[in-house]
Amino acid sequence: MRRDRPPRSPRHPVSPTGLPSSGHDADPGRRLLLRTGIGAFAAAALGVAHRAPRAAEASVDLPMVNGRRRLVAYPGKRPLIVLTSRPPQLETPFEVFDEGLLTPNDAFFVRYHHAGLPTSIDGDAHVIRIGGNAVAAPYELTVAELRTAFQPVEVVAVNQCSGNGRGLFEPRVTGGQLGNGAMGNARWVGARLKDVLARARPTAAARQVTFDGLDFALLGSGDFTKALDVAHAMDGEVLVAYQMNGAELPMLNGFPVRLVVPGYFGTYWIKHLSDIQVIDHVYDGFWMKTAYRIPDDDCACVEPGTAPRATRPIGRFNVRSFITSLRDGARLPAGQPVEVRGIAFDGGQGVREVAYSLDGGQSWRGATLGEDLGRYSFRGFRFGFTPQPGTHDLRVRAWNRSGQSQPATPTWQPAGYMRNVVESVKVVAS
Amino acid sequence: MTARRRKRMPRLATALLLATTSLASQATTAAERTLQLPEDGVALKASPLPGYLKAQAYCVMCHSAEYMLYQPPSAARPYWEAMVRRMKQVFAAPFDESEIPDLVDYLVKTYGNEQSR
Repeated sequence: MRRDRPPRSPRHPVSPTGLPSSGHDADPGRRLLLRTGIGAFAAAALGVAHRAPRAAEASVDLPMVNGRRRLVAYPGKRPLIVLTSRPPQLETPFEVFDEGLLTPNDAFFVRYHHAGLPTSIDGDAHVIRIGGNAVAAPYELTVAELRTAFQPVEVVAVNQCSGNGRGLFEPRVTGGQLGNGAMGNARWVGARLKDVLARARPTAAARQVTFDGLDFALLGSGDFTKALDVAHAMDGEVLVAYQMNGAELPMLNGFPVRLVVPGYFGTYWIKHLSDIQVIDHVYDGFWMKTAYRIPDDDCACVEPGTAPRATRPIGRFNVRSFITSLRDGARLPAGQPVEVRGIAFDGGQGVREVAYSLDGGQSWRGATLGEDLGRYSFRGFRFGFTPQPGTHDLRVRAWNRSGQSQPATPTWQPAGYMRNVVESVKVVAS
Repeated sequence: MTARRRKRMPRLATALLLATTSLASQATTAAERTLQLPEDGVALKASPLPGYLKAQAYCVMCHSAEYMLYQPPSAARPYWEAMVRRMKQVFAAPFDESEIPDLVDYLVKTYGNEQSR
């Protein structure tokens, strides 16, 4: 849609003055070269700057073949599981979800699609453009004005990557091989997208709204742009958020503003939001028309190894629940009572009930639900048990207020989205 | 460096220094945040296959090597071919159609289900 940004290499950041941040490279010719994709190409062709891993690096083993990952602290983050270094894709270590219902900002997962990342942003002066061929009054809005001119709204909402748990699919599917840590729950504050759009006076022709951020495709093609139907964009729940858990958004989570689409997969939560277009047609860019699509049937699934006959864009979360206080393979003292904690969530109906099983799903009892932070939030639960010596296969299963739940055996789809099987945690008491 | 450029350097350096100093006060506001990311954590696996040098040129120019390294070892040739073609068609990767077989061959034999065990 918008092609006015020059391509820049994120590996060679430039200061707001346009000068190289190192201060040593004063050759304008070289600077120009490094700021372009072709410059990055030249550097790569010369074999520059792709170092081998250090031997002593911290790592974690995800429960999948080829699941060893590095743990690295990126800017503004504690050490997180590195799915990819460039662009950064970072998964939250699962034990974080036992720290509390809100996921700390420095532990919140990170997912980019392009290595063209903004190197410097002014959080007050940053501009969001609102336009498109289905508005009467296009305008530009600074973040400073967004914070003061629109009523602030708060929501606690889960953000979850479409491919959360993709690495656990059997048969395996290709793509980002994530464990279950590409999710997080935060208290977001922002303006209603509805209010921001209303000021541009959408016309009767409005059909969809597209969203773009400052991150960009290095070679200028395939920019990450997403779209929502106009009725969804105007429903009053979607926010242009400038605060996360009481603080500014971390740079890697979209500083200074991102879209918050409660109940919907993270693919729609555009970071560093800079461009909103109300359009009179269905947007057909790669990231809507080809990617992030699911089988167009009730279960969003197909027979393993087969292709769907028809697809639709991914939408709301399905129901999920996890034990957070015990890891698979944990050892417990036999005969000692233990309290087990966990979290459950869904796409916005709210969690009605969580059941637990101590025998691999043969029999179930009700867990006790915790504090209700809203229907888009993680809902905590707990239950107690006293393990006898031996192995115990613990499972939890949630229902939302519409009665939707989780399958006992995994469903499958080729893109590896929307995993929500009842998970198993085996513990050994002795 | 040529003599002509060496002669011009002091003036250029002074100009750049002045530009930095005069703009620094406006550019650095309380609201400003910068981002500098660490280097890539892994490199492409070396190989005598002709696709290795092409992958160094065309793949890691835009993304790091974990994209290949962490795929399931069961990933078959059609997957690697589809990805290589997507990189060209959707993301404008600047390799020629004729280079696709070498790239795919390196990827499937190094990261996919045609690895020697």
